[in-house]
Amino acid sequence: MSAIAMDIRRNRLMLSYLIVAVLLVLLAVAGGLLSDRFLTWRNIGNLLQQLIVLGMVSLGQTFVVLMGGIDLAIGSLVGALTVFLANFLEWRPDLVWLALPLALIAATGVGAINGLLTVVLRVHPLIVTLGMSSIIFGGTLMYRKEPGGSVPRAFADIAYAKVGGVPLSAIVLVVIFALAGLWLQRTRTGRSIYFVGGDREAARLNGLPVDRIVVLAYALSGLCAGIAAIFLTARTGVGDPRIGAALTLQSVTPVVVGGTILAGGRGGVLGTFLGVLLVTMLNSLLNFVNVSSYYQWVIQGLIIIIAVGIHSARRK
Amino acid sequence: MTPLDTPMQRSQSISMASVFERYGLVIFLVALMVVAAVASPTFLRPANLVNVLTIAAPLGMVVVGQTFVILVRGLDLSVASLMATVAVLATAFKATTNEAIPLIFIAAIALSALVGLVNGWLVAKRNVSPFLATLAMMIILQGARFAYTGGAPISTLPPGMGFLASGRILGVPVNLITLAFLATAFGIVLHRSRLGREIFMVGSNPKAAFLNGVAPDRVVILCYVICSVCAGIGGLFLLGYVGTVSNWVGQGYELDSIVAAVMGGVALSGGRGNVFAALLGVAVLVVINNLVLLLGFPIEMQLIIKGIIIIGAAAFYRTRLA
Repeated sequence: MSAIAMDIRRNRLMLSYLIVAVLLVLLAVAGGLLSDRFLTWRNIGNLLQQLIVLGMVSLGQTFVVLMGGIDLAIGSLVGALTVFLANFLEWRPDLVWLALPLALIAATGVGAINGLLTVVLRVHPLIVTLGMSSIIFGGTLMYRKEPGGSVPRAFADIAYAKVGGVPLSAIVLVVIFALAGLWLQRTRTGRSIYFVGGDREAARLNGLPVDRIVVLAYALSGLCAGIAAIFLTARTGVGDPRIGAALTLQSVTPVVVGGTILAGGRGGVLGTFLGVLLVTMLNSLLNFVNVSSYYQWVIQGLIIIIAVGIHSARRK
Repeated sequence: MTPLDTPMQRSQSISMASVFERYGLVIFLVALMVVAAVASPTFLRPANLVNVLTIAAPLGMVVVGQTFVILVRGLDLSVASLMATVAVLATAFKATTNEAIPLIFIAAIALSALVGLVNGWLVAKRNVSPFLATLAMMIILQGARFAYTGGAPISTLPPGMGFLASGRILGVPVNLITLAFLATAFGIVLHRSRLGREIFMVGSNPKAAFLNGVAPDRVVILCYVICSVCAGIGGLFLLGYVGTVSNWVGQGYELDSIVAAVMGGVALSGGRGNVFAALLGVAVLVVINNLVLLLGFPIEMQLIIKGIIIIGAAAFYRTRLA
């Protein structure tokens, strides 16, 4: 690829980011005009606190989509992990230090299995992760049908803790996104994710360990789902097998809104971050002006179509 | 088999493997039924079999449509949401007499066709991936439906709807007759008509199809319309079966219809598949579901088995055709 082509691509991505950023500002202004409570510190703090769950699952989805796949097992996995965490911590509240790493390892493992299945069976990731989602959900339901369990106070605190007035979860999110961005741009392995997503055959011919990179991307998605599940369990205090049901699809929205192409190889975590901000802020605004959650679904669907429409039209 | 195969190669190909390739699903279905019959004497009772088939019919209708979309390298995730939306639409007439039924059907088919048109337009003309386009449609329909009902179930339906769903003519369930009619009609379109050949052409190679004077966009859009209309009709029949419109009528049918089609050998990469084989996939799926219940396993087990089957079937057909 010539340097010029690279440049044009980067500029287009920049344009995507700019569009989303402008929308964010417009949304903030609109929020400020429609409600005098929208732009208060209190509400902004709430907003920031809500970012982590959607942010983490979307980041995981970004890795997979950049690599040219899709992960539809995220929601079931998050649900299963909240059930595990809440029930484990109800049984032994003192073993938080053990429960969290276990959850993260299990999550990464499930992600790696997704990747392995697509690599070994060479089945479309949509089918593999859809199937895995069904398996995980069924398994979770066999263990617990209803929300249950509880968490110790100290654990619940991590969802609400603040550092210098800023929610801890938001800081964690920003740090993880920054590390992810640096990793994708600056390291060999990170960049190879783009390479595999752009042209898998070319990547293979260039001697990249394609299979390992595919598995890595899915494993990272699992890890992200694990982090999301930890904060989600801390916030809600229960394990609910169905809590993740909507998350799978929600995790895709910020990714495509942020300009990452579903076919793989193009996009980035900054776009996803802006997409997460946009979606969260929009939902908050709609709640403020009392738009029912039913219409919020309609709007979410329209956003996906419009975002993809804009990005794909500009590609021509 | 390519045209270049020599007669000798062809004779070699009639082996155990090729028989299994061709009739594997039938063998699997028969084996499954034998297992079911041995495991539970209830399975082969006419009442149970008719029951299984009655449940299978609406899913079968959806699968007929899903097959069309998958053939042109697509996928429709909005079918289940459309089924529920059509069901809500049917109650919107607040009709208590059977005169309203034709009107309900016309309205439902019109809405479905519109939904399919939008899906197809997004995919063919706007280059939106089928996954995202139909996903967005699924959420939009869901929101619109809930906004209308406010989330509460409704049950104002003409009595005839119940007959369509669970009534019988000469002992055969009405919805099964309808499915047979629908499958035959669309089967002829797909496997015996010019349009059908164009669909296969677009599915296996859109560029070549275009160079051969086929308009791929129009074919793709038509496939999405067919899929949505089939799903809409399936929704009406399922509605009659359930009797009450909850907002989630048909939930899970998007996954089930894809599972059945893939199991029936419809290739997700497009251009390969058969409506009737896909219906065989439906039969396998419902027998498995029935078996899980008859064996007294928890119903959640169905989810796990379904997940394993879809991955396994996709892997099986991929290696077979590679």
